[in-house]
Amino acid sequence: MNIFPESISQIGSEMDKLFWIITAVVGIATVITLFLFIYPIVTRKRNKTKEEMYMVGNSHGKRKWIYIGMILLFLGDMYILLKEHPIWESVEQTLPDPDFKIAIIGKQWMWNIIYPGPDGKLYTDDDIMAYNELHVPVNKVVHMDIKALDVVHSVFLPQARFKQDALPGRTITRWIKLNKTGEYDISCAEICGTGHSIMRGTMYVEDFNTWKKTMANIYKK
Amino acid sequence: MDTHKKHGFWHRYFFSLDHKDIGFQYLLTAMFMAAFGGFFVYVFRYNLAFGPNDIPLYGDLAAKQYNQLVTNHGAIMIFWVGMPILLAVIGNFLIPIMIGTDDMAFPTLNKISYWVFLLSCFVLLAGFMMPTGAFGGGWTMYPPLSVSDFGYNNPNTTFWTNFFTGNTFFLLAVALEFISMLMGGINFVVTTLNKRAKGMSLMRLPLVVWMVNIANLLFMFSVGPLIAGAFMLLMDILVGTGFFDAYRGGDPILWQHLFWFFGHPEVYVLLLPSIGAVGEIISTFSRKPLFGYKMVILMVIIAAILSLVVWAHHQFVSGIDPGAANIFSLLTIIISIPFAGMVLSYLGTLWKGNIRFETPMLWALGMLATFTFFGGFTGLHLGSNVFDIYAHDTYFVIAHFHYTLFPTVFLGGFAAFYYWFPKFSGRMMNKTLGLIHFWGTFIFFNSIFIPLFWLGLQGQHRRIYNYSAWNDLLMQPEHIMARQIATVSLIFLLLFQFVFLFNFFYSIKKGKKASKNPWEANTLEWQTDSPPPHGNFDPYPVVQRWPYDYNHPEKELDYCPQSEI
Ligand code: HEM
Ligand SMILES: [Cu+2]
Ligand SMILES: [Cu+2]
Repeated sequence: MNIFPESISQIGSEMDKLFWIITAVVGIATVITLFLFIYPIVTRKRNKTKEEMYMVGNSHGKRKWIYIGMILLFLGDMYILLKEHPIWESVEQTLPDPDFKIAIIGKQWMWNIIYPGPDGKLYTDDDIMAYNELHVPVNKVVHMDIKALDVVHSVFLPQARFKQDALPGRTITRWIKLNKTGEYDISCAEICGTGHSIMRGTMYVEDFNTWKKTMANIYKK
Repeated sequence: MDTHKKHGFWHRYFFSLDHKDIGFQYLLTAMFMAAFGGFFVYVFRYNLAFGPNDIPLYGDLAAKQYNQLVTNHGAIMIFWVGMPILLAVIGNFLIPIMIGTDDMAFPTLNKISYWVFLLSCFVLLAGFMMPTGAFGGGWTMYPPLSVSDFGYNNPNTTFWTNFFTGNTFFLLAVALEFISMLMGGINFVVTTLNKRAKGMSLMRLPLVVWMVNIANLLFMFSVGPLIAGAFMLLMDILVGTGFFDAYRGGDPILWQHLFWFFGHPEVYVLLLPSIGAVGEIISTFSRKPLFGYKMVILMVIIAAILSLVVWAHHQFVSGIDPGAANIFSLLTIIISIPFAGMVLSYLGTLWKGNIRFETPMLWALGMLATFTFFGGFTGLHLGSNVFDIYAHDTYFVIAHFHYTLFPTVFLGGFAAFYYWFPKFSGRMMNKTLGLIHFWGTFIFFNSIFIPLFWLGLQGQHRRIYNYSAWNDLLMQPEHIMARQIATVSLIFLLLFQFVFLFNFFYSIKKGKKASKNPWEANTLEWQTDSPPPHGNFDPYPVVQRWPYDYNHPEKELDYCPQSEI
């Protein structure tokens, strides 16, 4: 049984790895804590003197094990932050130059995709609009202008490990670069009304030549 | 002079100003609301596993109703079950008897707070009878969805048609509930500060009293912005002001900030009283002092303050500045440290204890374990802004927050219930039934939510009526099976609650008589009769020591009541 759906981007695979790193940190913490839980339960019937049992923990020295535990967790926390931050920077805080640009617009209850027309530029008169079908070339940097017309939606590409809320009145530009061809899902991850659960699109990741043919077909229509 | 004469049913349940009676009224009302919250989750989970048709006890479920049930399930469980039980019931019943006084500082205000609370329940449920149906936009009420059919957006509406909608009633119900909890909260804080028995210094207060007070203060600090936001949202709905309408100079994200500035501390408001009660129970049944009492209080205060500055971890992908998201990620992950201090103190209390497995102790340990291992630790996953890109609004989040809230509200709530039941009823609960109830609840709670973690990692997003559009991704046999395991477990979990109901009503009438101090505990409530008379104590106790002198080397017995020299 797999844990994640297949990953179709470099960044996505790094995010999966991060999940396991965090799980490992948490796993170590779990083992230690579980021991502290179970040991006193198992040994509860042993004889102890009152002096032994009257543990108040009213000085730093007596609490040293607690401090050690907190410091260990602090180190684990820092390790997580150290590992995650570069990924966040590359996903959200940098915008590599685009090979191709599209706009994806959520509305109740579908995704409008705007492709640049034959002039290759977005937001000109020859732009072409499609519904729920996103064709992108593999191994290219694609910029997505994300927006919404009516209520908040959220562009969720599970296999690309990508998510960004789509807001009315605002354009948010994010990028993806996918490394596997195939048909994948576009989900809406923010409740947007009665039709929220039918709001699905398909993302087609195609090799460059197929994709060019697809685009040519779209232009013809 | 007979001030202790028996009052009739009407007096006790409708007009009594006694804090114990009011606590009991809150308890019954919250149980009544929990029946709705539980029934709703049964209906929509049944639909997720076995389809929308012919749901037993309900019938067919449409997408719109699915959203309404999810929304109201969430809101009810938090505002109408969690808050009343953990703040109002624990606060009302315990504060006066634990600090050694006769009643609240403002008994009448206390009564009003209950009446307002009751009204808020009816207003919420009345939402289901509105022409538009109950509100179904998620308990977080994100605009523009929560206003999109009304006001400016729909020229066919008037003020009154906008008023009689599920949306308006939902907002009003939440507002009334807040008013009630604020009145209650003020009362708790003033009572604790002013009415303590002689000798009851702040550092001799039982932990749970500290926790209820910190929780109430935190609620007061955080709720202001939400009230402002709720007023703007109400105006957007009623008269179309457009505070959250991007096309008219408003901003939908503003609501999200105001909501979560309150919403994150809110989960700590629920957590603290529960973890406080669990601390009392662990100390009592380990026969050991609460380890690091002062440090626990300090850690909780630090966590409470930090909880005011982590709210945007709910908004990592909502369109806030990605640079700011880093700070929220850091602060969120750091909040694990004070909690680690607290959990380790509790484990230090268990260490070398003569642990007694009474029913309340099982619930308390179950609470601490599930909260820490699944709730707390998956919080680190979600606190990482990177992983949250993927996990946000999936069932991974659903499973995470249920692993914090369910232990808090139900496991901790039942721990407290079984522990203090002898005191408020004068009778013991049946232990065998209590154990059956515990194991049924504990096992099935885990088997509901562990599959949901996995479904979340598979990319199953939340608030979805059915997944048939995601045939490859989410409709494979293993997904369907995971959903069915969760739903069948839920049905069993609900059935086991009838064991509790039976035990409750049976024991309250016919249970074995309880002595003053059946658990051999130290705090003041155990020094008076079970149940305490009107006025609680006769004579009033003088406090000599802190509450955790279990196995004190200079004492003969393994416990030593606070009022003993
Ligand atoms: C009795 C066991 C419970 C089960 C099986 C359960 C199950 C669920 C599920 C499956 C959802 C997500 C539905 C969806 O997104 O489509 C949900 C939502 C929610 N639940 Fe529960 N729940 C339980 C108890 C609780 C408790 C005790 C609380 C809080 C104290 C709670 C608070 C919430 C909240 C706040 C939501 C979000 C509602 C929304 O999306 O607007 N639940 N529950
Ligand atoms: Cu949606
Ligand atoms: Cu939060």
